[in-house]
Amino acid sequence: MIKIFAALIVVTAQLLDFEKNLVFFTSGDAFRVASNARIAGPAPAARRYVRATFDDAGRVVELDVSLKKFPAQGDLADVHRFAVAMSAPVPNPDLAPKTGAACAHARAGRFVTVSISVQVPPATPLTDTVYMTSDQSGWNAQAYRMDRIDPQHYRTQVRLQSGTQMQVLFDRGSLQSVEAAPNGIEEKPHLLCVGDEDAQAFTRTVYHWIDENSGGLQTVPQALPTPYNAVPFPNLPTPHPALH
Amino acid sequence: MLALLCTAASQAAILHVKATHVSFFYDRFLVEADGGVRIETPQFAATGDAFSMDLKLNRFVLAGHVRLESPSGIEEGAALSDFLDFDRLYFLPVAEGADRWTFLNGDLAHPVKGRDMPGDAFALPDPIDTPPYLETNAAVIGARSFIRFGPSRVNMAAPSGSGYVTLPSYYINFSSDQHLGQNSLAGATFDATYAFAGNGQSISALHARYDTIDKTYLAFEQHLSGKHAYAVFSVNPVTRPSKFWNLLLSGTPSPNFQIRSFTQLHTFGSGLSEPSESSLFTTVQATQGFSGSFARLTAQFSNFSLLPVASDPSHPVIPNHPFQLELTAQQFDRRIGLSPLYEQIQYGFGYVHDAYGLQTLGGTPYTTIWNHELGLQLYVPSFKLTTGPRFYDSTFLTASVQKQRTWYSTPHYVDVASSSLGLSRAFSAHLNAFANYSVQNTADVYAHGLGSQVYVPFVPLAGGVPYPGYAAFNGTATFRTLALGAAYSNNGFFSASLLARKHDDFPKSVPDIFPDPPLDVLGRELLTGNYLGQPPYDITAAFRARIDPHLSIDVERSYYFHFGHRGWSPEFVIQLGP
Repeated sequence: MIKIFAALIVVTAQLLDFEKNLVFFTSGDAFRVASNARIAGPAPAARRYVRATFDDAGRVVELDVSLKKFPAQGDLADVHRFAVAMSAPVPNPDLAPKTGAACAHARAGRFVTVSISVQVPPATPLTDTVYMTSDQSGWNAQAYRMDRIDPQHYRTQVRLQSGTQMQVLFDRGSLQSVEAAPNGIEEKPHLLCVGDEDAQAFTRTVYHWIDENSGGLQTVPQALPTPYNAVPFPNLPTPHPALH
Repeated sequence: MLALLCTAASQAAILHVKATHVSFFYDRFLVEADGGVRIETPQFAATGDAFSMDLKLNRFVLAGHVRLESPSGIEEGAALSDFLDFDRLYFLPVAEGADRWTFLNGDLAHPVKGRDMPGDAFALPDPIDTPPYLETNAAVIGARSFIRFGPSRVNMAAPSGSGYVTLPSYYINFSSDQHLGQNSLAGATFDATYAFAGNGQSISALHARYDTIDKTYLAFEQHLSGKHAYAVFSVNPVTRPSKFWNLLLSGTPSPNFQIRSFTQLHTFGSGLSEPSESSLFTTVQATQGFSGSFARLTAQFSNFSLLPVASDPSHPVIPNHPFQLELTAQQFDRRIGLSPLYEQIQYGFGYVHDAYGLQTLGGTPYTTIWNHELGLQLYVPSFKLTTGPRFYDSTFLTASVQKQRTWYSTPHYVDVASSSLGLSRAFSAHLNAFANYSVQNTADVYAHGLGSQVYVPFVPLAGGVPYPGYAAFNGTATFRTLALGAAYSNNGFFSASLLARKHDDFPKSVPDIFPDPPLDVLGRELLTGNYLGQPPYDITAAFRARIDPHLSIDVERSYYFHFGHRGWSPEFVIQLGP
């Protein structure tokens, strides 16, 4: 007599849970475990990795458990048809592709070189350093130093993961010298959305610095205001005047 | 402003996590909890075996023998996943067999059964080889805002090494509220911040700092932020006699109106004992935006001495307490037709009063001075002169002209005229260079021959050598600067810049004639305004290098070609940052 065995399906996966003779994978699928199934390795529990063998009825007949990831084997899509579910599948409108949203179509996992350029007010002193700050750096005002590429432009390059969304502002080393909007009010952060191109450009204009145009009045921590000086030159020679 | 601050801020969803082991991986903003996990949110509580939350993606998974408790009842399941941004709770029940339930918009009484779920709804991270940044057994998470840990072991050698210290609490803010990043501390060469308390609207932090003046010291800072206002208070340094008590307030009650203030109290004394020196100043600035312009009112109150008599001769009393007021109106930058030229006009009034006197002219003391000013600016931000085959082969021209006159109630006016012309070019995707020439004329012009009383012609001596050229200076100075700059940047891992300048000024720069400008705490010269006697040549080099994924170093120093006593700038400016 010839006995014909159906081909067994083997897949590797990560566990969410094992209880009531059901094994749950991180794919969200649950599968019945045969009462006489062979279970090897540490106790099956959340986070652990398994190599599961399914019989032709869709039951798990062998379960190798490990704390380390198994070499990839099989395709979870092939065993999805064995998944146990009390309710019939219902389409989810949330999963429909979204259009128009920033970063909506970026493939995650790529490093993208983002070239960030900013135009600054013409009166920005040549010796000033401009920085970019962001929510990703805890609003550290000196998180990204920019290099002056001409008297009115600064630039920097950063490598960011595709799909990254960050709120950014430009400043001169402190949030007390952060950029201001055209109407002189504190600027709202700009959204920098990283797509999945090899390289990306991000360009903005700083209309004002929040500390400019203060009539020479001082708001610098740890610096005392200088007494009123009617002379526009703060360091005339001393002794002054020595008449000759 | 404080009333604005107290108005309800946007409240982040709060999640409490307790477990036998809670680990935080700073480089991935990942919270992992294992063993007897219990989570509590405003809508439900749940227990399970393992928990994982990606703070940046703002979602979490609880897996293994999950028990979900809510006012709607108790459900048992294999796992739940909460996508907080979308208000979707995905649940895998095991009551009578497996199923897929989705709770929509916080309604835990009516699950949508069988609804498809995102493919990665229950994804758990692969094992992380590096040691965690922090280990504890309890955390409070404010969604997209903050995480606060109870007593913790913090790995100071993370992410690659292990070197744990035990701290009573630890707070990390990662919100998009930039106002919680405001600070009222002066710069420092090094600043290690320990945030020991906080929530979505406040941070309390200790700073261990180093700078060239105070050396090593501690500072304290408190941040508060609401929907339309913020406040920052600090004491810096706490552990040195010269203390600065700073308060920064800002309110934006409407999109077109903002009021900010900065108050600084300086005391010199040990601890909280009576100081031997004390001064105070407050600046208040209100800005009103209009459709094509804005107006700004700035007031400053200064008390150079708060003490009536000097208790220590080395800290003399300065009686002056000037009050200054400025009202300026400024037009938005406007492009002139289709030309590459932009223009901007500014007009302002000013008032200064000090009962102890501001200026004496012709024997007349002035305690009050009024002024008004008019300014015009024209500029070309970037005009392409040539185009090459590669995207970076273009040459750009930048130019600007500014002219401003300020009239005073004392018989003089000050003219400031500056112009600048620059060329820039990229030589590769990483290397840029520019050349710029600028001229600034500042003229302080007095009527009735009074100028010779203010700018008395004399021949100063430097080391016994007379310099007669200065005698021609009558309040009109010219600053000419040729600047050559280059910047190299390599994908964010390394960047370097070089700025070389040649100054040709009148009055001519002569060593040891003009007082040096003050230095900031980082050792840099504060060259704001019309400082005379700049060294004829200077070159400044700076670079930033990334040391590891979380730390970079900035180094900057200037060289003055041995002009007078200046060779190099006083100090290297070294800063460590993220």
